[in-house]
Amino acid sequence: MEESDGAVIAGSLSAPAQFGVIFDRHGSMLLRFLARRVPPAEAEDLLGEVFRIAFERRSTFECERGSARPWLYGIAANLVAKHHRGEARRLRAMARASVGRAAADDPAERAVAVADADALWPRVLDALAAIPEAERQVLLLFAWEELSYDEIAAALGVPVGTVRSRLHRGRARLAALTSEGTP
Amino acid sequence: MTDDLEPLRRSRPDRLLPDDPPDPEVLAREKARLLAAIGGASAEPRPAVPIGGPSICPRLAYRDEVAALEFLTSAFGLVERREARMEHPDGMLAWLRIGDGVVMIGRAGEERHGLRSPLETGAPTAMLNVYVPDVDAHHRRAAAEGARIVMPPEDMFWGDRRYEALDLEGHRWHFAERMTSRISDGGR
Repeated sequence: MEESDGAVIAGSLSAPAQFGVIFDRHGSMLLRFLARRVPPAEAEDLLGEVFRIAFERRSTFECERGSARPWLYGIAANLVAKHHRGEARRLRAMARASVGRAAADDPAERAVAVADADALWPRVLDALAAIPEAERQVLLLFAWEELSYDEIAAALGVPVGTVRSRLHRGRARLAALTSEGTP
Repeated sequence: MTDDLEPLRRSRPDRLLPDDPPDPEVLAREKARLLAAIGGASAEPRPAVPIGGPSICPRLAYRDEVAALEFLTSAFGLVERREARMEHPDGMLAWLRIGDGVVMIGRAGEERHGLRSPLETGAPTAMLNVYVPDVDAHHRRAAAEGARIVMPPEDMFWGDRRYEALDLEGHRWHFAERMTSRISDGGR
């Protein structure tokens, strides 16, 4: 059977190159996560940073956890948070850029779905930019990355109850912000 | 899953703006850098291509790339690199491996690099030549799974035994087994 991430990381303590396996397993997922949150060129740089940090801290990984996914998400989310001001600006810029963008000329159904999402998109992004970073982090790990409460708690190093309350507040804020100005 | 977070889910940038996946080259480069940084790569040269990938990788376009994926794996024995798959509401991109070769399949369309399915052009747009270990067995499986056989297995003068088939949407596939060494071995 395939070794768990925990076993691979434990092995990498004495054989560092083994850590490459962790990259093979999670690199693509993290690159996609980062690319959703920061500009593409920065995403590539941050990807390298995530794994360098992870490698340096590998002795602190609780190997019995099995999957390294939440742990890596946590490191990546922290790096994104350091770009916090940049992220809010970027979300607003994306929201502006999306206005007036043509919908895909694909089959009708899809076009409708896209146009519908298009109409929402700027408002959602604007709202996201206005939400406190800690809540946005939880919201996006939940909605975009589809992590469970437990995984988010492990990633951010906070209790599950905190994840719940941040998600709750974030949702409420998002709902309030996106419904503003709705007919 | 309709709830108050649905607009947020749908607003995920890559759901709204399907794009090509993170470039495998980016991953290969960053992995090489990581290994170099952690000192584990001194003996390994930087890979010229993504891990396990060949230097050339054709892409085929389909109207229904999901059906194509199913067909290519069941009828032609290609194996998907599942971890590489990218899914979007309007199109999936998959990497399929056979032997040491890789082919990408995706949705046809103007926004998909202008690539077309033979269903749209009315004629094949590509022909793939693939070497397999047992071409007769391969042919039997393909025929049983509903591949359109254009030419059954036949010995070619240059030493291949091959058959020709069309996939679901009409891309042309030639499967061959190299017979020369067998023949020469038999002669000695």
